[in-house]
Amino acid sequence: MKYVILIHANPDPWGHPTSIYTAEGRELPPEQHEEMDRQFEALLAEISASGEFVTAEALADPASATLYGWSTEGHLATEGPYAEAKEQLAGFFVIDCDSRQRAEQIAAQFAQPGGVVELRPVMWPGGDDQ
Amino acid sequence: MTSAGLEQVWRRWAPDVLAALVRRYGDFDAAEDAVQEALLAAARQWPTDGLPDNPRGWLITVASRRLVDQWRSERARASREKLVARRTRAEQLLAPAADAANEDRRDDSLTLLLLCCHPALTRPSQVALTLRAVAGLSTGQIARAFLVPEATMAQRISRAKTRLRQVGARFSVPAAEQLPDRVAAAAHVLYLVFTEGHTSTTGAGLYDVLLADEAIRLTRQLHQHLPAAGEVSGLLALMLITDARRAARTRPDGSLVPLAEQDRSLWDQTRIREGIRLIERALPTGPVGPFQLQAAIAAIHAEAARAEDTDWAQIETLYRMLRDLAPSSVVTLNHAVAVAMVGGPTAGLDMLGPLLQDRQMRRHHRLHAVRGHLLEMDGRVEEAQAAYATAARLATSIPEQRYLNTKAAQRAPV
Repeated sequence: MKYVILIHANPDPWGHPTSIYTAEGRELPPEQHEEMDRQFEALLAEISASGEFVTAEALADPASATLYGWSTEGHLATEGPYAEAKEQLAGFFVIDCDSRQRAEQIAAQFAQPGGVVELRPVMWPGGDDQ
Repeated sequence: MTSAGLEQVWRRWAPDVLAALVRRYGDFDAAEDAVQEALLAAARQWPTDGLPDNPRGWLITVASRRLVDQWRSERARASREKLVARRTRAEQLLAPAADAANEDRRDDSLTLLLLCCHPALTRPSQVALTLRAVAGLSTGQIARAFLVPEATMAQRISRAKTRLRQVGARFSVPAAEQLPDRVAAAAHVLYLVFTEGHTSTTGAGLYDVLLADEAIRLTRQLHQHLPAAGEVSGLLALMLITDARRAARTRPDGSLVPLAEQDRSLWDQTRIREGIRLIERALPTGPVGPFQLQAAIAAIHAEAARAEDTDWAQIETLYRMLRDLAPSSVVTLNHAVAVAMVGGPTAGLDMLGPLLQDRQMRRHHRLHAVRGHLLEMDGRVEEAQAAYATAARLATSIPEQRYLNTKAAQRAPV
C-alpha cells in the first residue's frame, strides 16, 4: 500500500530542512537539531534499506509557483502561491508499506517543530469484486 | 533465437539453475549474481550459436564458473575466505556437482521457495525474493507489477538476500517441526502475489507478466510437491475459482463489476471445476484451514447459476467456522453479509455495531459499503446513501470509489 507523507510548514525564509527555518525550530538549541537530524537520517536509512522508500522531493518557495485556472476560453496562469495559508506544502515522501499501522509508525517520526505532517493513502487503479 | 524465446527458456530454467548453485555453494547472494551473468552470456551466445542441447546444464556450468571466478578474484580478502569456510559445511564440500543429474530437482525448487519465505524476512521481502528467485522474473517486471520504481524493488530483493546471509540461512529443507510454519508462510506469500494480481485492473504490457498467473503456477508446483497439504490445496482452489471470474469482473471501460452483478456466462468453468475438485478432495481429509474454508465459500458462489441462487445458508455456516478458526474483523464483516442474506438485514446490521467502534475498522471503506448494502436491503434508503458516501470517501481504489459514489447518488425507488 502506498502512502504519501506531506510536510506542511511555513519556513521563513523558505529553506530546507524546514525545521531550522520555522519560528518553533529556531527556538531549539543546536544539539536538539543535531539529535533530530540523526534520528531522521536513521529513519531514512531504515526505510531505504527495507525497500519501503519510494521517492521524495523538497519543494521550492511557494512564491515561485505558477497556478493555472481553467475556463472555456482557455487556461489562465497566475503567479503563486496557491493559498495564503499559514502552512504551505514544503515537500513530500512516498512510501510503500505492508500496513496502515506501519505507515503511521513511519509518518509519526516526520513530526517536526513548526509544521504539520499529513499521511494520506495513495489511490490505486485496481479493486476487489467482492 | 528471439528475445521472447530466450525469456521463455530463462524462465523455465532460472530457478532450477539458481537452486542447483545455492545447494552446491550455499551463498544465495553470490549464486544469484552468477546466474544473472550466465543469462547475460546466454543472451550473447545463444542467438548466434543456437540453443544448447541442455540449456540447464549450460547455464549451471557457466554460472558455476562465474561463481568460482568471483571467489578466486576475492581470495586476497582474507575475511571473505573465512566467511566461505565458515559457511561451507563438510558435507557440502562432498555434495555432488551442481550440474550432476539429480532426481531431486523438484525438491530443489520447493527448498528454494521455502528459503525465500524464511521467517527472518519481512513479508514484502519474501514476496519480492520469491518472484525473483522462484518465478524467475526480472526486478523490472516485479517492480512494474507492484507499481513501484525498479530501485525500490531492487532494494527489497538485495536486503532480503543480505538478511538470509546474515542469519546463515541454509539451502536445505527445514526441520520437520518448522516445516508446517514455513509452508504456511509460503502459502501466504503466494496468496499475496495472487491478490495483488487479481485486484489489479491495469493491463499488463507486452513484457509484463500477470501476477495472478504466476501465483497459480507457483502454487500448482507447491501442491505437486505437497499433495497432502490441505491448506495448499485450499489455496490453489481459492485462486482458481477466484481467477475464473477474471473476464467478468471488469467492463470494457475498466470499471469493476461486483460479484452479484457479473455475467456468469463469462466465468471460466474449467478453472471452477478444477478448483471445486481440489477443495472437495481436501476438505474431508485433514485439518480444515482458512484457505480451505475460503475456497469452499468461493466454490458455493461459483456453483450458483444466478446470484439469487446462491446457497447463503451454507456460506453462513462456513463463515461461522472461519470466524471460530481465524477470527478477524474482515471475517465478521463477510459473515454479517451471509447472516443478512439468510436471516434478514437487521441481523446482519446488528453484527456491524461493534465494528463501527473499532478504530482500524471504522476507517475501512468495506465496513461502510456493507452497511450501506444492508441498510438498502432494509429499505432505509437515506441512511444507506450516507453509508455509501462514507465508504466512497474512505476508499483508496479508484474503481471502487467510483462505484460507491454511484451507489451514494442513487435515488430512492419511487
